[in-house]
Amino acid sequence: MIAALPPPPPPIEAPAPERSTATTEQVRVAAAMTDARVRVDSSFRGASIVLYGAVFNPTDAPTDVVVVVRGPDSPVRLVKKTRNMGVWLNSRPVLFEGAPGFYMTASTRPLGDIADFGQLRRLGVGVDHLRINAPQESRTVTRYGVRDVVVSRLGEDYLDWRRAVIRLREAAALYDTDSDGVEFVDRGLFRAEIDLPAVAPTGQYFAEVWLFQDGEPVSVSNLTLTVEKVGIERDIFEFAHNRPWSYGVLCVILAAFTGLLASRIFRRE
Amino acid sequence: MDIYLPIAEVSVNWPLLVLLGATVGFVSGLFGIGGGFLMAPILIFLGIPPAVAVASQASHVVASSTSGVISYTRQKAVDYRIGGVMALGGVLGALLGVELFRYLRLLGQADLAVALSYLVFLGVIGTLMLYESLGQILRRVRGEITPHKDRRRPLWLYGLPLRMKFPRSGLYISAIPPFALGTFAGVLSAIMGVGGGFILVPAMLYVLRMRASVVVGTSLFQIIITTAITTILQSGRNQTVDIVLSTILLLGGVVGAQYGARWSGRFRAEELRAVLGLIVLLVGIQMGLELFVRPSDLFAFAPGVAE
Repeated sequence: MIAALPPPPPPIEAPAPERSTATTEQVRVAAAMTDARVRVDSSFRGASIVLYGAVFNPTDAPTDVVVVVRGPDSPVRLVKKTRNMGVWLNSRPVLFEGAPGFYMTASTRPLGDIADFGQLRRLGVGVDHLRINAPQESRTVTRYGVRDVVVSRLGEDYLDWRRAVIRLREAAALYDTDSDGVEFVDRGLFRAEIDLPAVAPTGQYFAEVWLFQDGEPVSVSNLTLTVEKVGIERDIFEFAHNRPWSYGVLCVILAAFTGLLASRIFRRE
Repeated sequence: MDIYLPIAEVSVNWPLLVLLGATVGFVSGLFGIGGGFLMAPILIFLGIPPAVAVASQASHVVASSTSGVISYTRQKAVDYRIGGVMALGGVLGALLGVELFRYLRLLGQADLAVALSYLVFLGVIGTLMLYESLGQILRRVRGEITPHKDRRRPLWLYGLPLRMKFPRSGLYISAIPPFALGTFAGVLSAIMGVGGGFILVPAMLYVLRMRASVVVGTSLFQIIITTAITTILQSGRNQTVDIVLSTILLLGGVVGAQYGARWSGRFRAEELRAVLGLIVLLVGIQMGLELFVRPSDLFAFAPGVAE
């Protein structure tokens, strides 16, 4: 009976995933986001993104994970208040050619414990090591008929301006350092949460997931995500910026109509 | 209970804004003023950028003045002829003021311009009002008779060309002074976000010597035209008008104004003026004070780069 049966089909062998061989030999990190497209509801709280990842670590040495999320670069104008004859006045605006509109790091430990200063500076990891574009020499540019001084990377007050950008952006929750933002949910499996405030700029964001071992970066995983804004508030913002004149006329009509309505209602009483 | 203001880009507690609108509306109804000078400082205090506060409340002034003009028109207390001349000046003033404001904003000096003009204009007007009304109260308490005022118009009003008849105001004067007055109010409406009633009314009364019964209605008419133009220009050139903010303020404002107007009959005119003078003076000082206090952060972002 048994012999009458046709021979069993050869077992289907799944092609070995390329990574499985590598995993056994080297330390690696892989990560993914729950959404590659984020819609920030501009109404109240912004949005949060969850990033999941896995660490393949065949060695015994412990590893650290650092997640860096960077928003699109844009120029930044700043003024500094100075005291002239007892009165606090704004200086001429200075211009940074480009600073990330959003910058956040989340890590398993404080960044300073994970790697040394030079290493972090080289990788541009951490708000202190954030790259803010500035030319070698200061110069002036004219925009809208106003002359701005472009901050020079070598100028003596560069650090003050740079710190001010970071401080102001931190106050707006656009820059953030979360030294225990990466938590391991299981052995080798971690998760990090990134909060985008309602004022976060739209556009392409880049996320880097670094794996550090003994203070050295051993692996990196790159991800991108697109941030869009939705909601009625966003529509109003777009309308006000794209068709400012119609918007202004609409505001006036609305205001006049409200006034008219109010006088009608109160006359009847 | 927070609401996100799309242009100001801040979240604020909306019942607080309605209450603020109602309070300012009440004060404006009580004293017969636009109340813009009171609104902007409070909005700035709540954390709304000065440029947005000033531009958004211009549209708030449109609404509160509209209901005012309607009731004054019913009483035939609006001189549309001289009001039209002043409004023409107001349009010119708004054009100049918005361009000036735009330039100052790009220079990073808009806050300074707002603070300084509040300090100067409100300080002067508040002091004058307080002085004049306190004097009147003192004389009444002592039982003295109010000295007879010189009712003649300044002579230079007659020396100017382009004379026009304004029958309802009882005037036959050159069109240049009302036009210039309107222009000045237009510039103020762009920089301070006020209707300019606190400048217009005394000037119309004591310089032009218009018939007192038409002064308030006519100034409101001029204010509507000027602030409407200012609102359109501010949003067209500076994109600083927050429709959500001004609508919330309106909801409280129109109701408050009606109740304020009903209460105003309970007080003597000079007592009202004394209180108003004090408020005006305090607001001016409060706005000017920030120029002398060391700011908590020496650095600030300036507007004017593409997002």
